[in-house]
Amino acid sequence: MWSMADVWWNRSQLIKMPTLIIDGREISVKPGATIMEAARLLGIKIPHFCYHPGLSVAGNCRMCMVEVEKMPKPVISCAMPVNEGMVVRTNSEMVQKARRGVMEFLLINHPLDCPVCDQGGECKLQDYALKYGPDQSRFQDKKRRVANHDLGPVIETEMNRCIHCTRCIRFSTEVAGVEEMGAVFRGDHMKVVPRLGQRPLSSELAGNMAEICPVGALNLKPFHFRARGWELHRAQGICPHCAVGCHVRVDHRQNSIYRIKTRKCPSINGEWLCDKGRFAYEGMVVGRLQVPMMVLEPGEGLVEVSWSQALDRVSEIIKGVKPEEVAGLAGAWGLGAEELYAFQDFLRQVVGTSHLDYRLSQKDFSADDIPLARSDLMLNTPLEAMEKADCIFLVGADPRFEMPLLNVRLRKASLDGASVWSLGTRHLLANLENLEETIVSPGEEVDFLRKVLSAMTTKRGSKAALAVGNALRKAERPVVLLGRSAVNHAQAETLRRLVVAILGKAEAVAAGWNGYNRMVAEANAAAAEDMGVVPHRGPGYRVVDRMGMNAGEILAGGKIKVLFLLGVDLENDSRVAAAIQAGTRVIFMGAFASSVAEKAQVVLPGLVHGEKSGTLTNGEGRVQRNDRVVNGPLTAKEDWRILRALSQRFARVLPYDDLKGLREAMGRADGRYDPAVVDSEKVSMACDHGAGVTQGLDPGSEAKSGVKDVGEPEMVWEPSFYRETPVTRGSPTLSRLHGGGDKGGRG
Amino acid sequence: MNPSAPIQLVFRNIHKPNSHTLPVYLEGGGYKAVTKALARTPEEVIEEVKRSGIRGRGGAGFPAGIKWSFIPRTSAKPKYLVCNADEGEPGTCKDRDILRYDPHLLIEGMIIAAFAVGAERGYIYVRGEFFLESQRVEAAIKEAYAKGYLGENIFGKGVRFDLAVHLGAGAYVCGEETALIESLEGKKGQPRVKPPFPANVGLWGGPTVINNVETLANIPNILDRGGAWYAKLGVEKSSGTKIFSVSGHCNRPGNYEVEMGISLKDLLEKFAGGVRGGWDNLKGVIPGGSSSPILARAACETVTMDYDSIARAGSMLGSGAVIVIDKSVCVVRAIARISRFYRHESCGQCTPCREGTGWLAQILTRLEAGGGRPGDIELLEELCGNISGKTICALGDAAAMPVAGAIRAFREEFVYHVEHGRCMVE
Repeated sequence: MWSMADVWWNRSQLIKMPTLIIDGREISVKPGATIMEAARLLGIKIPHFCYHPGLSVAGNCRMCMVEVEKMPKPVISCAMPVNEGMVVRTNSEMVQKARRGVMEFLLINHPLDCPVCDQGGECKLQDYALKYGPDQSRFQDKKRRVANHDLGPVIETEMNRCIHCTRCIRFSTEVAGVEEMGAVFRGDHMKVVPRLGQRPLSSELAGNMAEICPVGALNLKPFHFRARGWELHRAQGICPHCAVGCHVRVDHRQNSIYRIKTRKCPSINGEWLCDKGRFAYEGMVVGRLQVPMMVLEPGEGLVEVSWSQALDRVSEIIKGVKPEEVAGLAGAWGLGAEELYAFQDFLRQVVGTSHLDYRLSQKDFSADDIPLARSDLMLNTPLEAMEKADCIFLVGADPRFEMPLLNVRLRKASLDGASVWSLGTRHLLANLENLEETIVSPGEEVDFLRKVLSAMTTKRGSKAALAVGNALRKAERPVVLLGRSAVNHAQAETLRRLVVAILGKAEAVAAGWNGYNRMVAEANAAAAEDMGVVPHRGPGYRVVDRMGMNAGEILAGGKIKVLFLLGVDLENDSRVAAAIQAGTRVIFMGAFASSVAEKAQVVLPGLVHGEKSGTLTNGEGRVQRNDRVVNGPLTAKEDWRILRALSQRFARVLPYDDLKGLREAMGRADGRYDPAVVDSEKVSMACDHGAGVTQGLDPGSEAKSGVKDVGEPEMVWEPSFYRETPVTRGSPTLSRLHGGGDKGGRG
Repeated sequence: MNPSAPIQLVFRNIHKPNSHTLPVYLEGGGYKAVTKALARTPEEVIEEVKRSGIRGRGGAGFPAGIKWSFIPRTSAKPKYLVCNADEGEPGTCKDRDILRYDPHLLIEGMIIAAFAVGAERGYIYVRGEFFLESQRVEAAIKEAYAKGYLGENIFGKGVRFDLAVHLGAGAYVCGEETALIESLEGKKGQPRVKPPFPANVGLWGGPTVINNVETLANIPNILDRGGAWYAKLGVEKSSGTKIFSVSGHCNRPGNYEVEMGISLKDLLEKFAGGVRGGWDNLKGVIPGGSSSPILARAACETVTMDYDSIARAGSMLGSGAVIVIDKSVCVVRAIARISRFYRHESCGQCTPCREGTGWLAQILTRLEAGGGRPGDIELLEELCGNISGKTICALGDAAAMPVAGAIRAFREEFVYHVEHGRCMVE
C-alpha cells in the first residue's frame, strides 16, 4: 500500500541520521528531531505541560528539562534538536531538582482545589505534583486570582487553575484557525483570555481545548461535575457523524455515555475531534422511537403493537403490491454497513424489487449508466497526505463544515504555503490561508470549470480561470475536492468529469499522487456504495441485471405504491409528503420520531450507533468497526435483525441469523468487509489510495459532444452543521452551539 | 569632560553644538570610515572587527566580529541588521546620548555592519520613552538618504541598505534580542526559544544580526583606525573604550567614556566626583546595571572595570551602569525595589520567571516591611537557584542574580530584618 509517509521516509534516508544516547540507550532519529521526539520513540516519558505533538513548540513550561552532557544548564527537550553523539539524561539528580523547582513555581498560584476540579484524576499537574511536588507549600504570600470567562456551551473555565502553557492559544491559532484565545499582561499578571472579550467560542473544534488543557482551567461544560474520570468505562469507537470517521474514545457508565474524547489516529483524525462528533451523543436519547407502531384502522393514527403484529402487517403491505411497486430508501448517516447490506438483500432477494437508493439529495444520476468505480466516488488523496498539498481547489466544497478534520489537514497545507481556490455559489466561512474564491450563480459552476479547462489548454481565458488553471498546472501535489454542493448538483456528473479532465491537464493523477477527491455527501455513504444500496449496482460493485429506479425517480412518485424507508431523515423534503398524499404507503424503520414516521403505516424502532455493533466506512473508503457501548430502548432492535425477522414471512429468508453470519456474507460480497480483515486491522487500509486512476470520459470528446445537463439548478435546503441529523438536533449542546450566532456560520 | 580622559571614540562629537546634524558630523571626519569599509570585501570588514576584539556593549559581552561571522553568506531569506536601542536596564543611559547627540555615528556603524553581513535592510528599535531620540535618529536617517548614504546605491557602490526606526512600547524584555524581534514583527514582546538563534532564524525568519547602539557606534572608529589599533586600547579580552553610566550616590553622576580596565575607584574618584560623603561612606556598587550583583565595598577597592575582573569579583560588567550606594541605603529595601521591577517586567511566558519573580518580590517586600520569617533568606536563595539558568531568556537570571548577590554580600542585613522586623540602617 502506497503512503505519503513512505515517500518522505525514503527521502530522509539520504540524509545522515544523528545518533544519540538517552538514558544509556542509543537511538538514531531523523535530523531536526528534538530530544523529546527521540525519547518518545524509545518509550521514555519526559514530563511536560506545554509540549503537544499536534502544536508548535512553545518551550514555556520548563517541565521537560533534561541534562545533556557538556551543556552547563539543563535544556528543554521539547525544543532542543538532537545532535550526533549527544548524551542525554532524563532523570538525573540535576533534572529532578529542576523539575521540583518548576513544580513548586507552578503550584504557588494554583488553587490546589483538586477535590472540586473536573480534571482530577486525569490531570498532569496532579500527577507530576505527586512525583515532583513538595508535600507542603513554602508559599505563604498572596495567590493570584483571575476572573473566569464565559466561553459558550462547550468550555467551562476556572482560570485560577491556568498554568499558562498556551496550548489553547496555540490550538486556536494554529489548528482551529480562529484566533480566539490569547494572553494579556505580563509576568505573574499574565492571563489567558478569549481574544474577543466575553464571547462564545465560534470554532467547531473548541472542545479540543478542554482536552489539551493539561490542568482543570478549561473543562467540557456538558461534563462539568458529572463524573470522575476513573469512574467511567472506556470504549474505543468510531465517530459516525461525518465521513471522516474519527477515532474516538467513549467514556460511559451505567448505560449512558458521559463524554466522547479523541483517540489518536495519525492517518485519519490526527489528534483532534470536532464538536459535532464530541457532543452528538447527547441526542441519542432524545425523540427515540421506542416500540413498534402501526395504523390499525385506515385514517387513524399509529398505535403501539407487538413486533409480530407489526412485521405481519409489513409483509401484508408488501405482498399486497407487485414487487416492482416497492421501493426502498436508506439514510446512510445512521446505519452501519450491516443494515445497508441486509436492506438491499431484503429488497432485492426477498421482495424482488430493484428500486433502492440512499442518495436522497442527489439530483444528477447520469453517472449510474457508466458506472463509476469505487475510487471515483471517494477521497483518493490520503487524509494525512492532504497536509502536503501545494494547491487546493474546492469545487462546491465547504470542507470546514462537511468534514471538519479534513479541513484541519487542508489548513495545515495552506499554512505551509499551498494556494487555495474555491468555486461555489456562496462565500465560505473558511479558515484556510491564501483562499481565493470564485462565487458564481447556481448553475454556472460547469461554465467556470470549462473556462478553467480551456485556460489550461489554450493558456487564455478570464483572469480567475487562468489563475486557477496556472496554479493547478504548476502544482506538484494538487488536491481537488468535489464537495457536497457538487455531488448534489443538478449537473454533478458534468462537474465531475470536468474535474477529471482538469486533473489530467494538471497531471495530478500520477504515480505517488492522486489529487482527485470526491467528498461523499454524508457519513457512511461510502458503505452504502460498497453495499450496493444503489439501483445500478449490487454489493461489491457487482453489475446488476436490471437497473432499478434511483432516489430521484422513486421520490418523484407515480409508480411506487409502497415506500420502505430505513433511517432516512426527510424532514424537510416535500417529495415524501406529496407521495404519501398521492397514496403511497410508507413503512418506516429507524431510531428517531419524525413527521415522516408519523405518516407511516408501520413504524419499526431501530438502534443508533453506539447501541449496536456497526461497520462504518469513511470518505477514504476505510472500513472501521464501531462497537456497542450502551443499550438502546428495550423494545427497539438492530435494523438488520428486523429485516431478517421480516424475511421469515416471505418465501426467501435472509441467509444469516447472527452478526457473524451477516458479516461473512458482507465479506463474500465485498472483500474489504471480510470480518477477518476488518477485525484484525488497527487502522483499516480498505481505501483505494493506490488506485491511481480516475475513470471519466475522455475530456476531448466530452467538450465536443457534451454530457446532457440534467435538470435546472435549484436552491437546496442547506442544513446547519450542528443540526444535520436527528441525533445532532437532539443534542442540547449542539443546539446551543447552533443558536450561538455565527456558530458554524449556518445558524 | 574630565581632561584626564585621554580618548573619546564614541563621544568624540557630542560636545559640539548641533552634534546631531550631518554637517557637524561630516566636519568631524564623519562617513570616512564607511567609504574605507565599502572599498574592501565584507569578509575583510568582519576580520577587522574581529581583530579589534570588541565585545557587545549591550550586556552579554559577546564578541561582535564573531557574531557577524555567524551570518550565512548566502540565504534564501533576506538578511537583517537590527540595532538594539531599547536601552532599558535600570541605571543605563549611554545609548540615549549616542542617539540624541550623534545619530550619524550609529548610522555609519550600521551601514558598515550591514555591508559586512550582507543585510539590505536595517531597523533601529528605539525604546518607547526615547521620543526626542527617535526623532533625532529619524531626522539623521533622512539626511543620510538625501546624501545617498542610505538607499539603493549607497556611496555609488552598488550596495543597498535601507534603514528605519521602530519605536517600542515600553517593555524591558524587548531589549532581549528575540523579544525585540517579536515586537518588531508586531507581536507581543516575548523571547523566543533558542536554538535557532537569530543569526540563522531571526526577523521574519531571515538571518539577523542584533547589536547594541554603543557596539555599532564603535565600528566607524575601528574601520577608520584599524582593528589592531582598537585592540590596544583597554585590557586583554576587554578592548577599547566603554561608556559607564555612573549614577547613585556620587558627586558627579553622568556618562563617562573611558578605556576598559580602569579601576572602579578611579572611575568614581577621578571622573564621577567621588562618593557622596567620601570613599569611606561607600557601601557598595552595582557595577553593570540592576541585573548585576552588588559588590561590597571591599571588592570595590580593587576591582577594575573590564569583563573578566568584574566576573572574578562575582558580578558582571553588563551594560556598564555603575550604581553607587552609600551607607544610608538599606540593601534589603534596594533589592526589594529591584525585585519589584523584575516582577513587573517579566514577560510571563515561562514558569520559573513568571512565578519566581513574583514570589521573590513578595518575599522581599514582606521582609522589608518587617514581616520576615525564619527561613525566608534560605528560601530566597533556593528560589534564585531554581530560576537561574532555567528560563527561556536571561531575564530570569537578571531577576535572580541581584537577589542572590545581595544576600551573599550583605547577609547580616537580611538576617537583621528577619530577626528584628526592621532595618539596621534607617
